[in-house]
Amino acid sequence: MSFADSAALLGQSCAAEIDANCRGVNLDSNRLKECLSRNRDALSPTCASTYLKTFDAIQKRIAARVTVANACAREIVKLCGGSTKETSKSIPCLTTTQGVSPRCIQAMDDAGYR
Amino acid sequence: MSRRVKSSRLRPALLSILGMLALLAYAAPSRSETSFSRDDIVNQLSRFDSAPELDIPALKQKTLERSRIRSRNEPEASKRTPIAPELSSLPGFNVDIQFDTDTPIVRPESYQTLGRIADALVNVKLLPYSFLIVGHTEANGRRENNAILSQRRADAIRDIMINTFKISAKRIQSIGLGEEQLLDPAHPTAATNRQMQILTVAKMPEQSEQPPPATTSAPAPAKKKSAKKR
Repeated sequence: MSFADSAALLGQSCAAEIDANCRGVNLDSNRLKECLSRNRDALSPTCASTYLKTFDAIQKRIAARVTVANACAREIVKLCGGSTKETSKSIPCLTTTQGVSPRCIQAMDDAGYR
Repeated sequence: MSRRVKSSRLRPALLSILGMLALLAYAAPSRSETSFSRDDIVNQLSRFDSAPELDIPALKQKTLERSRIRSRNEPEASKRTPIAPELSSLPGFNVDIQFDTDTPIVRPESYQTLGRIADALVNVKLLPYSFLIVGHTEANGRRENNAILSQRRADAIRDIMINTFKISAKRIQSIGLGEEQLLDPAHPTAATNRQMQILTVAKMPEQSEQPPPATTSAPAPAKKKSAKKR
């Protein structure tokens, strides 16, 4: 799920709740999540069932970047002459080089690199 | 009896009002839906060859100082010279982001836009670049307040990119130009002037083979040369 889709879902499902209970809180993974959790009793069913999922989806996409280092370890070192400590530097090479494993490609898609 | 008649007469009117409200409620989210894709941003911002050296802290200072000028000879907003003309040559993407009035708090209907910007910045084609988020305001209210508000809003977008979407802090800077560089100088109070700009400002140094370069970039090559000669 893209960042845009996650953020849109949060904005659509919880707009009224954020206005009513979280004025002054920006789109922040910690502070906005905390504020909505604190006001759980005041959330509409849609917002209550959605907001944690949207924050999780954002976290998952971020965490997927680390997965790329593992899933693409061979490609990063052998095909791209890079280091798994600086995965993002090897991404341009990984997306254009032949012989990259399906697992690596999947990992790059999950992280939103492609 | 008469009451019942009255209420039934009211009903069509009430229904049509309800219908209109429902329509409005239905139309609202689609209006706030972003009209551009991640790839629109990526394609715009990846058109980068070179950029002038930018001194962002100096530019911030300059903007604040100019916004404080109270002289009668000051030109009106539409006739001021742009405070940072060097930015206009950079690849850029302009977006509407809705904020709560006079605050740097982004309205929920603009969350999608923020997510879309983050999606673009993570994309492989933009990974090698760093960006400047530029805040603007229209020419309404106190000039200095506008400079400050636009800076706070640009900072807020930067913070969200870094904290919520974990874009590397090294890749994003922010500046607010207030009403010192109107996006639509012909219409100083038009909403267009409230847009945020994302500009590509630099290509990150590639360090894959070389060790990290010395901190001062300009004199470094000269030093190397002289070392070789010896």
